[in-house]
Amino acid sequence: MTTVDSMDTNQAGVTESAAAPLLEARELTRHFRVGRGFSPQMLHAVDEVNFSIGRQEIVALAGESGSGKSTIARLLAGVYKPTSGEIFYQGRAMSTFRSRKDQLAYRGDVPMVFQDPFSSLNPAFRVKHGVLRSLKLHRRDLTTKAQRFDEAERVIEAVGLSPAGDVMQRYPYELSGGQRQRIGFAQALAHKPKLILADEPVSMLDVSIRIGLLNLMAELRESQGVSFLYITHDIASARYVADRLMIMYAGHIVETGPTESVLQNPKHPYTDLLLGAVPDPRAPLAAGLESDTGEPPKVIDPTPGCRFRWRCPLAVDRCHSETPLLRVLGKNHEAACHVAEPDS
Amino acid sequence: MPSLESRPLLEVRDLTVEYDTGDRPVVAVDHVDLDVHAGEFVGVVGESGCGKSTLLFAIAQLLSSPAAITGGSVTFQGQDLVAMNEKKLSALRWRDFSVVMQSAMNALNPVKSIGAQFRDTIMAHDEPVADERPAEVLRLVGIDPIHLNSYPHQLSGGMRQRAMIAMALLFTPDLIIMDEPTSALDVVAQRSLMVQIKELQKQLGFAVIFVTHDMSLVSHFSDKLVVMYAGQVVEFGDTRAVFDHPEHPYSAGLLDAFPSIRGPKVPLTGIPGSPPNLADPPPGCRFQPRCPKAFEDCPKIAPELYQVGAVQARCLLHVKEPVRERTS
Repeated sequence: MTTVDSMDTNQAGVTESAAAPLLEARELTRHFRVGRGFSPQMLHAVDEVNFSIGRQEIVALAGESGSGKSTIARLLAGVYKPTSGEIFYQGRAMSTFRSRKDQLAYRGDVPMVFQDPFSSLNPAFRVKHGVLRSLKLHRRDLTTKAQRFDEAERVIEAVGLSPAGDVMQRYPYELSGGQRQRIGFAQALAHKPKLILADEPVSMLDVSIRIGLLNLMAELRESQGVSFLYITHDIASARYVADRLMIMYAGHIVETGPTESVLQNPKHPYTDLLLGAVPDPRAPLAAGLESDTGEPPKVIDPTPGCRFRWRCPLAVDRCHSETPLLRVLGKNHEAACHVAEPDS
Repeated sequence: MPSLESRPLLEVRDLTVEYDTGDRPVVAVDHVDLDVHAGEFVGVVGESGCGKSTLLFAIAQLLSSPAAITGGSVTFQGQDLVAMNEKKLSALRWRDFSVVMQSAMNALNPVKSIGAQFRDTIMAHDEPVADERPAEVLRLVGIDPIHLNSYPHQLSGGMRQRAMIAMALLFTPDLIIMDEPTSALDVVAQRSLMVQIKELQKQLGFAVIFVTHDMSLVSHFSDKLVVMYAGQVVEFGDTRAVFDHPEHPYSAGLLDAFPSIRGPKVPLTGIPGSPPNLADPPPGCRFQPRCPKAFEDCPKIAPELYQVGAVQARCLLHVKEPVRERTS
C-alpha cells in the first residue's frame, strides 16, 4: 500500500480555516410536499438539526427507517437543497458554491457510499470504469492515463482488494457483496475526499462480512485522513467504529454525545428503546420480551410537542405541548427530553 | 437432541439438492438431516451462498429448474413430500405448512388489496374458513383489520411483513417456514416482529424453521440451531449450547462477527474470505481455507458430524466417535 499523498493540493478550491469544523449544519431543515391538489401537506423529514463533524472523526447517525437519516446524507451530498438552514463546509456556506468548479470540488471532497452494493455499481462495466471516471472528473492533478491507472490501483489496494490489477478487470457480478461495497469505498477514495457519507454501507451485507468493512472505515480514517458520517440503524456497529453518536427520531436529533457516554448512560427514552432492540446473545436469554409495536410517525404538518410522546413510557403533560430542545446533560452529552436528568 | 418419544413433525433425511449447471452439478444442499418437532423453533444460520434458502425451498418443494432434489426425503406428518404430486402439495401448502418469504414487498401483489389476497388464498383451498378469519389473523399480528382494504404500498415494511405472517396463519398451519423475514427491517421493527412470532407460536403452537444470516437474532428465540456452511450442516444442537460453547470454528466465527453493545470493546475480525464456490469445493473440510484452527489433516479428510457434548459438529478437532458412517 502506498503512503498517503500530502494533503497540500487543496483541490476543494476552498480556503481552509483551521478553527471551523470540517462540516457544520445549522438549523438544517428539509420538508417535502405530500398530498395533492387543494390539500397540500408538508412532510417534515429533517427539522432544525444542528451538528458538526470534525477532521478525521467518525460520527454515527442512528435511528429507525423513516427518521430522516438518509435525508441528512442527501442534504450533505447536495442531492437535496435545504428548505432552510445552512451547511458550512470548512467554514464556507454551501449555498455560496455557485460555480461548477466549486460544486465539483465539494462533491469530490464529500462523496457518498450507498447502501446497496448490488445496484450502485453499473453491471455493464468493469470495476475500473467507475474508479477511473471518478479520477478523470475529480483529479485534475493526474494528467495521464498511466497516472490515473496507478492511482486507481492504489485506492483499490487501500480498500483491501488485491491484486488490484486483477480486480479492476472484473465485472461487478464476479465480486461478492463485501467486495462490491469495498469498490464503493474505492470510488469514494479516488476523489481524495475529506468526508465520506456512508449511508448504511453494511446493512445489506452478511453479518460475517460487516465487521471487515467497519474495520476498513477505521483504517481509512487513519491512513487516508478522512472523516466519516456513518449512517446506520445498528447501534452496536456504531459503537464499534464511531467517536460520536447522534440519535435521530422523526426528523429531530434527540440525543448526541461521545459514543460510550450515550450508550452507557442513555438520556433519551428513545435511545433506551433502540438499545433494547439490539440482539445480544451474550446477554441472558429471557432478557426483556416486552413488545414495542410503535413505529416512527410520519411527521406531516406537526404540532408542537415531543414527537416520541406516543411511544414514550415517561411522557408527561409538558411533552404534549412543548417541543423539547437539545440541552446539555453531561460532558458533551445532549438530549432533547423534558424528563431526562442531567449527570449529577 | 431430538427427543425419541414422539415422531417429529418434519423429518429431513439425507436431503441433497443439485443445481444442474452443465459441466458439473453444483451441490447446494449436501446430505442434510433435520428434525423439527411440533411447536419447535429451529434456527438455520449461515452466510449467503451456504445453501440455507435452497434448503428451505427444497423442504417446501418450491425448487425450480435448474435446481432439483437428487436424493433424500422430506417427511412431513408422515408423508413424503418429495414423492408427492403438485396437486396434493398445493392442498398441503398454506393449510398444513406455509412459507414467509424474505421480501414481503415482492411476495405481495402490489395491485391487489391485502383482503383480496387473503381471499385468493382461502379460495384456493376447499377448507371452510369463517368470513371473519382474515380480520382475525390481522388482529393476531397487531394490524388494524381496516388494512384489509389497504394495498401493500400503503403499509410500512414492518406491517407488510406482518401481513405476510398473517396470511401464513390463515389456516393455522403446523409449520411455518420463514426465510429471513426480518432482513429488510431495522432493529426496532425486527425486534418487535421476533417477539410477536414467538408469542404467536406460544399461543397457536406451530413449529417454525427460521433462516437468517444473523446468528444474534435467533439467539433469544430458537430452541434448536443449525449452522450451515457450503451446503452442509456444520453444527447442530440446542441454541443455548451452541451459543455458549460453539464447537465448530465457523460457528465461533459467526458469533464473534458482531460487536457487542454492552461488554468490553474488543477489535473483531469477522471471518476473513468468503464461502467457497460450490462447483469446486476445497478438498477435505470445506471451511479449512478460512479456518483459524486448521491443521495438516483438514485438507485431506472430509469430516463427518461428530457428537461433542450436547451438540454435533463437523470438525476434525472433535474426531472421537463418528455419529454415523457415510461413504461419499
